[in-house]
Amino acid sequence: MTTPSGTVGADHSASTAGRSRTRETLVAWSFALPFLLLFGVFMAGPIAAALVTSFTDLRVTDIRNPLSVDFVGLANYLDVLGDARFQKAAANTTVFVLVGVPLTMALGLAAAVGVNQGVVRFRTIFRVGFYLPVVTSIVAIAVVWRLLLGSEAGLVNAILAGFGVDGPGWLSDERYALWSIIFMAAWRNLGFLMVIFLAGLQTIPGDLYEAAEVDGAGRWQRFQRITLPLMRPTLLFGAVITGIGYVQFFEEPFVMTEGGPLNSTLSLALYAYDQFSFGNYGYTASIAFILFIAIAMLTLIQFRLLRPAT
Amino acid sequence: MSTLAPTHGDAPTKNNARGDRGGWWIYILLVIGIILLVGPFIWMVLGSIKTTGELRQVPPTWLPENPTLNNYAELFDRLSFVRYFFNSAIVAIAVTAGNVIFCSMLGYALAKLTFPGKRILFAVVLGTLMVPAIVTFMPLFVLVANLNLVNTHAGLILPFLVGAFGVFLMRQFIGGIPDELLDAARVDGAGEHYIFWRIVMPLCGPAIATLTILTFLGSWNSFLWPLVVANTEDMYTLPVAIALFATGQQETNVALLMAGSVVVILPVLIIFIFLQRYFTQGIAMTGIK
Amino acid sequence: MRSGRRPGAILLALGMIVALAACGRGDDEGGGESAAASQAPEVDTEAASGEVTVWAMGAEGENLEVLADAFMADNPDVTVDVTPVPFDAAHDRIVSAIAGGEGPDVTQIGTTWMGEFATLGGLDPTPANIDASTFFEGAWDTTVVDGTSYGVPWYVETRLLYYRTDLAEEGGVTEAPATWDDLKALAEGIQGAGAEYGINLQPGGTGSWQQYMPFFWQAGGEIMDDAGAFTLDGEPCVEALTFYDSFFEEGLAAPAAGDVPIEGQFANGDVGGFVSGPWMIGIVTDAGADPETWTVAHQPTEEAGTSFVGGSNLGVLSDSDNKEAAWAFIEYLSQPEVQVTWYETINSLPSVQSAWDDEALAGDDLLAAFGEQLDDAKAPPAIATWEEVAAEIDAVIEQVTVGDLSAEDGCAAMQEAASSIGAG
Repeated sequence: MTTPSGTVGADHSASTAGRSRTRETLVAWSFALPFLLLFGVFMAGPIAAALVTSFTDLRVTDIRNPLSVDFVGLANYLDVLGDARFQKAAANTTVFVLVGVPLTMALGLAAAVGVNQGVVRFRTIFRVGFYLPVVTSIVAIAVVWRLLLGSEAGLVNAILAGFGVDGPGWLSDERYALWSIIFMAAWRNLGFLMVIFLAGLQTIPGDLYEAAEVDGAGRWQRFQRITLPLMRPTLLFGAVITGIGYVQFFEEPFVMTEGGPLNSTLSLALYAYDQFSFGNYGYTASIAFILFIAIAMLTLIQFRLLRPAT
Repeated sequence: MSTLAPTHGDAPTKNNARGDRGGWWIYILLVIGIILLVGPFIWMVLGSIKTTGELRQVPPTWLPENPTLNNYAELFDRLSFVRYFFNSAIVAIAVTAGNVIFCSMLGYALAKLTFPGKRILFAVVLGTLMVPAIVTFMPLFVLVANLNLVNTHAGLILPFLVGAFGVFLMRQFIGGIPDELLDAARVDGAGEHYIFWRIVMPLCGPAIATLTILTFLGSWNSFLWPLVVANTEDMYTLPVAIALFATGQQETNVALLMAGSVVVILPVLIIFIFLQRYFTQGIAMTGIK
Repeated sequence: MRSGRRPGAILLALGMIVALAACGRGDDEGGGESAAASQAPEVDTEAASGEVTVWAMGAEGENLEVLADAFMADNPDVTVDVTPVPFDAAHDRIVSAIAGGEGPDVTQIGTTWMGEFATLGGLDPTPANIDASTFFEGAWDTTVVDGTSYGVPWYVETRLLYYRTDLAEEGGVTEAPATWDDLKALAEGIQGAGAEYGINLQPGGTGSWQQYMPFFWQAGGEIMDDAGAFTLDGEPCVEALTFYDSFFEEGLAAPAAGDVPIEGQFANGDVGGFVSGPWMIGIVTDAGADPETWTVAHQPTEEAGTSFVGGSNLGVLSDSDNKEAAWAFIEYLSQPEVQVTWYETINSLPSVQSAWDDEALAGDDLLAAFGEQLDDAKAPPAIATWEEVAAEIDAVIEQVTVGDLSAEDGCAAMQEAASSIGAG
């Protein structure tokens, strides 16, 4: 069902064109002004400053006289792209995003649909429970997950041992560490997506489902034909937000593995953070803007794929 | 306006009456999911009533051997709890209110009004969401220092009073509201602001609830910014204070940290539990076909 | 495009770029080298007055008021205002404060941060009122940046070998290890007596350089030479790195950080020894280890028996507007009696040598061992880029112990990475 957008509106504005458009513009800016003022000062300003910084060799030792640094053009960007650690971090991050975003979205959507349509009682408990990892401190989460994934004393390996399988070091083996982190991130963030998808599910009128059921459509068909298409704007939003978040994934490797073992869980954001803490501000800025370009491209792709068909 | 009044839960329950057929396996899956998801939280709560010594034990224990409220007592004893809570609350409430109001306004303009530069504006706003926050940290602090806002509530609030995320969320959500609704009001002579406040916002219950929860959570838990902006103890927020007492140069007092984490989570949880019922607010769009 | 903002933004960016091009670095002032660290002229601390804001981290921050009150009783014209700061991100906070000009008068500074803060001009040089020789040499060296001292050691810590004496005896080792061979024999003996791992050493990861460096120093190595160039490779490195790696190669040390805290494993007898600082005394006791079954030992000796010294220093920010009173307070905190009181308050080990003569410290065997080690303890050079160099060393250690990099290649890699980073 597509909302017939704009037909009535277009007719209306056609009649009082010029004056109405100016008025509409003024009104629109009156809505935008508070945001723009704060945004311009506190967000756009610092970002512009950071952009300029990325073209200099600013280091922490320069912060008392930041204007007396050398302008180095694209040198930072080239150094970053050529750095082996950056390339490793980029590879890790790509895997993380390509696997993590669909995984988290699927889990979040399943949770939302399940809670919304599959259960009647205890809904509140389920909603709160699924959202809990999002609000639980990463420190507590890290402690528990280390207990689960520990190679010797971990619960997962204990269970596997019961089946006679010798579990590997989920966090200490460089072949498995990244997958463990991906799974942990999906687990942690599905509640966030569940909340958003629940909001989106509310906009789907119930009688659509009834009508479909009367027509003999099964559960899965109802999901495919009604839920998914109507959820497109929400799914797009979820995908973009999760994508943006995951390209910058930081907390999980920071707390669990510090980027190891052997840089197998080093993320681009963690790499940038390390450089920031060394005081290489110009270099860090260029990493950030490379990240920005990556995120922008990813978002564009997502918009193309999931754009509501109008 | 009665056709637009939200009908609580009518539509969904009709679904579920039928959905329950074959629905018990969903219950099982969800219960397993819940256990996995709630586990760390339970561990955190149990940890907060254990002694530090017990938390160091190998193998780790689940239920506390000598449950104690000492950690909480110590926390409240050493913290000027009321002050830190007050700071956190003021900042989080202000930031949340600012986001809900100002981001919705811009979201409405982007979704439902036409004006030149609209698409570029949206692209720019969305673009800032994609720049990793770490680079803006230093310039932002220098800016705030130059505005003489260090160690003030304003310095804690203003930089985050609006955010790109809220604009994105509200624009998407408001975009889904049928134009006929708004045009009907325009034909009746309603101005845009009236339409926004009296028609659009009430329909945005779920989105506003979502934005409130997420913004409040982000602000309440924020650590790094309050840490550098608050120069004196009386401006500290709760997470800063807890890190102060629980983390040391070489060791972490895990028990205190657990207790502190529980204390920090509670307000967010309460707000979530209170707001999550709005997710079932059925918008009676069915009245308009 | 219709939006009028775009050309404006471009102009602004261009303007900034032009302005930046007009600026640029001036010539570097040559760094002077001097045998003994130079200090600033004496400061008149007798006439101290006014307000002094102090930042201190963690437990120090909470308890410093006790000493501040005593100081204020002696100096009624001065008000000392202590703000406790969390350790997490304290570094970022101090850097921001210096950048924004919003810092305190006195601040506690981690020993490895001195190089950075001094090089960026944030710290005031130590006045001659304060006598360098009263402090442990290794600790004092952490305050010296480019030949000048920029602060005062406040409290110190050093690393000793903790080991299970009962398991060692079972394994045939009755004396504390004095040489590298003894250390190896100790680990083997303990493992023979049934422990899973004879010793715990960090296999790379953040901070592993603090466990590796002592061996490097013991083999006669130096991180930097007098000319300011890195000397991380060479014989001492290969020797030390091979020795360090051998524990992992021979299965004497766990190849990955354990899931559970080391104190638990130590108390259980799963691990026979580890290297750490004085804070572990309380933690190990807390974990249930019987005091009869373990002790601490001096680092083994090859060419020297050197350990790592860390801790915290105190410094005065160059932007401070009350430097006399600030230094007066620091002078007060450096008095031996006050250092002992401070130890009794929160168990921080004094940086002043004569404070260790006090019964409170001399009478405790375990602590006395730490005191003895402090006579032979070194710290890394106080350069602005140390954290970055240390991270590269950590990475190489990981590649050698967990990966399959050879010790020779590892040493070469360390040297190359350090040289390309430079000393800032």
